[in-house]
Order: sequence, then structure tokens, then C-alpha cells
Amino acid sequence: MIKVCIIIPAFNESAVIADVVKDVVKQFDKTSYLATVVVVNDSSEDNTSMLARGAGATVVDHIINCGAGGATATGLRYAELNGFDIGATMDADGQHMSADVLRGVDILAKSGTDLLIGSRLIDSSGMSRVKVLGNWGLSFITRLLFGIKSTDSQSGMRIFSRKALRKLRWKTSGYEFCSEMLWRAHQIGLKVDEYSIKAVYTDYSKSKGQNNWNGVNIVKSLIKRRIAELIG
Amino acid sequence: MSRYLILLIINLPFILIAIVSAVTQYKLKHFTRRRMWAQILTWAAILVALIVAQPLYNWLLFNNWTDTESLSLFDVIQITAIVALIYIATRLRAKTDALEQRLASLHRETSIILSSKNNKNAS
Repeated sequence: MIKVCIIIPAFNESAVIADVVKDVVKQFDKTSYLATVVVVNDSSEDNTSMLARGAGATVVDHIINCGAGGATATGLRYAELNGFDIGATMDADGQHMSADVLRGVDILAKSGTDLLIGSRLIDSSGMSRVKVLGNWGLSFITRLLFGIKSTDSQSGMRIFSRKALRKLRWKTSGYEFCSEMLWRAHQIGLKVDEYSIKAVYTDYSKSKGQNNWNGVNIVKSLIKRRIAELIG
Repeated sequence: MSRYLILLIINLPFILIAIVSAVTQYKLKHFTRRRMWAQILTWAAILVALIVAQPLYNWLLFNNWTDTESLSLFDVIQITAIVALIYIATRLRAKTDALEQRLASLHRETSIILSSKNNKNAS
């Protein structure tokens, strides 16, 4: 039986975390996978941790706030330490559908891919033009800086093989880790692929997601990281 | 002794140590090959600039393209300080980076261990 760890990095997500966890648990209950939902509570100030645990998730509480990159790294390390075959990450704000996670796990289990990115931009219908433009811009900059071709370099839905869980490491802790992860995967020769997913934008997820000004910060950090890697 | 030669002699240890350090870090797998070459080329460029400083100055003076004074003792000290600062900044950057990674790793492992205990106690 394939052991799957679904990792949900969360920071102050008490409004939706229980529903997100229950939805994923329900989705994987119908399958042959042995699934565990792990919520990495990135030192939230609300009761995200308690609600996630109550909904059936295993919770890893961060002692200090580390950002999305740090929380994702903790979740993947948990999966590695506990001998999971496949790891999957998804956003805690409810923008990702659990059916898409399951589909990604199915694709990865059948193919020899190490890292599968759930791309919202292969079919971007339903996404606002501003979001499409922002994500396209960041993917373009990722390609410019690191030579990585990806339609959605910032997607939080990613599926990892056991090899990726063991080998993939990155240095940034904020949202820029999404691009850096692709770069590191390329450096260590992992097989990376994409599949199309649908993002659900509610008022809540819109308020929690990255805006294009965050994008400027991400670009700044990526440029710094690229230069530091050369001369630092 | 020429001040240009003094400049070269004083700065040579920094440059050599930096180059050896870049190769060592690569051999210990702390650096990628590209990062090692970037560092070696940067320090080699500084070395070349120090070596050609006097011939370049003489050539510019001979062709009347400059009328500035030759290198003063203060210039030697100032350039040496700049090279030393580049060396120190590069080393500190690498050390801070390594320390940040170790701290992040420590936090990650501690969080997982503590949460495992909490999850066991809760169940």
C-alpha cells in the first residue's frame, strides 16, 4: 500500500483549515492509498492547530514563524522521516481542490516523475487577469534567473516522489521558495513535470493569497539568492 | 621598493587564501562548481588588476592620458582595506548563510520531535 503524506502549511487559517482537512481526508478515504494529512502550523496566533487536529490531521507546530518555505520544508521532512512514499503539498486557504491532489498523486504513482507541479495557468479560466499576469511574470523571471521553464512556478500544489523527499532542499523560507525549489530540483537532476489544476478563488482565499506587490519582494529575494549563490 | 609592489605583496595573501578557500569549499561539496569558478574569477580579476596597475599607469602617463600622481602610501592602505573588506564580507556571507541553514534545520527537527510527543500524548 502506498503511503501518502498530504502537507498543508498553515498560518492563521482557523476560518477554513478544518473544512480543508476534512475534505482531503474524505477524498483519500475512498482510495487504496494510506493517507495522512499533516498540517504544519507556522506559529499561528489563532486556533489553527487545535481545529486542524480536531478535523483529523496530524499537526506539527512551529515554535517560531518561518514563512511558507520553512513550513513546507518541515512538512516534507516529516514525510521523509516517517517513511512516506509520496508527499503532496497544498494551500491551506481552500484554493486547491482535494480531487486535484488525488489526481496528482495518481499521476506521480504511475509515472517516473519526481516532482509534479499543479499548474493553475495551463487552464487559467476563473483566475483574475491580475493574478494570471503576476504568476506569468514570476514564472518568466524564474526562467530568466534559473533557466527553468514552468507555466506556474508559484503553485503551492506539488507532489513529491520518495527520491524528491530525500534529496530536495532549498534555502529561502518565504514564498520565493517555490521558484528556488524548481531550481534545486533541476540542479540535482530530478524529473519535473506539470499537470493542470483548477484554483477556487473565494473572497477568503483572495484575501490570503499573494498579491502582485508580494511578487516584487519575491523577485528581489530571488535575484539576491541568485547573486549570493555565485559570489557569496 | 615600488609602492605598486608593496600593494601586490600585502594583498596577495588575501587573494590566495580566498582562491584556496573556494576550491576547498567545492571539494567539500559546500559550493557548486559554478560558484567556485565565480569566486576564483572574481579574485583572479582583482589579482590581475593589482599586477597591471603600474604598467597601466605608466602607459597612460606616457600617452598623456592621465596626469594624476603615482600611487601614494595612503592609496596602498586604502586599496588593501577594500580588498580585505571584500574578503571579510565574502567569508561572513558564507558563514551567515551556513548558520541560517543550521538554525532552520534545528527548528525544523525540534518542531517535528516536540509535535510527535504532543500528538502521542493527545492520542
